[in-house]
Amino acid sequence: MKGKFTLGVLTLMLSAGAMSAAQAYDGDWKRGRIYYRQVCTVCHTTELKKAIGPNERTQAEWAAFFKNDKHGKGKDTVKHFFSKQYRDSIKATNAAAAKFAAVPDNELLEDVKAFLNRSAKDGDAPAGCS
Amino acid sequence: MRTGIFMAALMAAMLLAPAVDAASDPGSAKLLKSTADHSQFKALQQEFNSGPEVTKACLSCHTEASKQLHKTEHWKWEYRNAQGQLLGKKTLINNFCTTPVTNEAACNICHIGYGWKDDSFDFTSEVNVDCLVCHDSTGNYRKPAGLAGNVVTKEMEFPPGSGNIIKPINLKKIAQAVGKTSRDNCGACHFYGGGGDGVKHGDMDSSLASPDKALDVHMDALGNDFACSTCHMTQGHQVPGSRYAPTAQDKGEAHLRGKAYKTNPTTCQACHGQAPHKKIAKLNDHTDKVACQTCHIPKFARGGIATKMSWDWSTAGKMGPDGKPLTIKDAKGHPIYTAIKGDFVLGENVVPEYLWFNGTVTYTLRSDKIDKGKEPVRINHFEGSAGDGKSLIWPVKIMRGKQAFDSVNKTLIVAHLAGNDDTAYWTNFNWEKAAAVGMAAVGEPFSGKVDFVKTESTWPITHMVAPAKDALRCHDCHASGGRLEKVRGVYIPGRASDHAGWLDTTGWAIAALTLLGVLGHGLARVLASRRNK
Ligand code: HEC
Repeated sequence: MKGKFTLGVLTLMLSAGAMSAAQAYDGDWKRGRIYYRQVCTVCHTTELKKAIGPNERTQAEWAAFFKNDKHGKGKDTVKHFFSKQYRDSIKATNAAAAKFAAVPDNELLEDVKAFLNRSAKDGDAPAGCS
Repeated sequence: MRTGIFMAALMAAMLLAPAVDAASDPGSAKLLKSTADHSQFKALQQEFNSGPEVTKACLSCHTEASKQLHKTEHWKWEYRNAQGQLLGKKTLINNFCTTPVTNEAACNICHIGYGWKDDSFDFTSEVNVDCLVCHDSTGNYRKPAGLAGNVVTKEMEFPPGSGNIIKPINLKKIAQAVGKTSRDNCGACHFYGGGGDGVKHGDMDSSLASPDKALDVHMDALGNDFACSTCHMTQGHQVPGSRYAPTAQDKGEAHLRGKAYKTNPTTCQACHGQAPHKKIAKLNDHTDKVACQTCHIPKFARGGIATKMSWDWSTAGKMGPDGKPLTIKDAKGHPIYTAIKGDFVLGENVVPEYLWFNGTVTYTLRSDKIDKGKEPVRINHFEGSAGDGKSLIWPVKIMRGKQAFDSVNKTLIVAHLAGNDDTAYWTNFNWEKAAAVGMAAVGEPFSGKVDFVKTESTWPITHMVAPAKDALRCHDCHASGGRLEKVRGVYIPGRASDHAGWLDTTGWAIAALTLLGVLGHGLARVLASRRNK
């Protein structure tokens, strides 16, 4: 009984903590810019043979992309490319993944969202690929 | 009980973990570097309707800031060089967009002030200094073209009737988040010199906002992450390292903290000293003749953004089949012809040109007579020679062009380009009208006759320093047709122009004779010893 209670409190506190952390974290667009260019764009230029400029989509389109969480016709989730596991898998050859190896997934996600939001076609500072 | 303590400890650890992690990780954005949180200052907790209102709030604490800025080139756009020539954007004509004069509303978005739209601008006003353009950290600060450097705080249509809506910026948010200058701040103007990204310098464009190591070892966003001010170490808002006051050769030591130096802190030597090559000491023997940049910046415009290498104004003004101003783009979608500006040649991954430079740059001024018989007219040129004891071999970008001049008075032309009025070249495509207004504005005579003359300007290459592994190798210069083939006055072993046929023949002849002598002598000894037996 007591154990259950403690567990309950723990769960509550942890989820409250996680929520407040998620809310408190303000995406760092500059770090997002590095991650987007050196992880996302690097792969797009090798595999897709072209970069995807932030200014090719509107803020709403980027928001929908993150909400749907489907990357490249749904083969992977978008979140997958922000996971520690993914960063670990490429960090030997990717300086950004190595540098940000310990950053919580959610922070990097918020960073890239912040960057794409400001750099979108209708953002405050539309930006292309470089 | 024990589980209770364990749980509590676990919880505490889990809650604290991210904070500890952030504080110990210098790369983390959470580590607050400043002791002041500007969002907590009363003066900034208000809605601002204009730029000067923000500056007024800044000055309520930073009392001396505007006075300091009034003394800078960033404010004055004027600079007198050692030869006494008056330089600066206020007076000079270049071979890109030529001059901001009479085009203030468009060009002066890059003045660090608010409201410079014509020569009535008050250069003594403290609130007209724009703090945010250099200290914004949100990246959302904007000074739209056409508004004389003013900002937009309420949605507006500009130009009126165009249907183009300018979104307002939130000055309160921006003011509350001010910080030290970053590459993005300086880059907002310096990356876009000459009228667009990368156009002017070749070694500075928006790719340096967040570069990787291959592009720039110092600014590498994942490594050293230098801000511009890391080298351009600013005191009292005076930024050292201006192109108008260059240091061609620095014979000083590496700058130590706590010691006062009068020399330029932006040179390579100011950090690296005089003998920077530790592994291959022979390379240090080059530093008395060759600037560091020559080997360490093998190419410029390496970040994926093209720079303009030439600009021909004489072809401007063509209309397309639809009767509208013509634009022609290259395969990558970059304009190589526009009706308002003429023809361009763009360059990426450009090998610099090399010349002797002693730190003196001489300019062709607005009132100087030019001679079409002596084309190209040098808008500026770097002085220096092998023997003057002050020069090093420097990498440069030479910008070539053709631009308007008064063929009777023989002076370069100030043309009124931007504006909605009938005399602006970009509106009516009439050089004579545009020149009449421009020349009248600067008080220079204009004959009414416009012709075009070939011009050249020289730009030092000093950013985009590559990793050591990508620096030039011996054979890049010590070979026929090498990079320094055209540099006169110095002996560079291995290059074609230092290759004297007679010297080779003589050398080989001496070697052959020596060998013959040795063989002959040996043979004689052998024969002699046989005879003695
Ligand atoms: C491992 C390589 C790789 C990485 C890493 C990668 N992508 Fe992609 N991405 C692709 C490929 C391949 C496609 C094309 C897939 C297709 O359409 O079949 C693609 C397509 C896209 C598209 C367009 C198609 C769509 O799904 O809407 C977007 C947007 C996109 N990626 C965003 C991102 C972002 C953001 C990141 C970084 C967090 C990222 N990608 C990381 C390989 C990658």
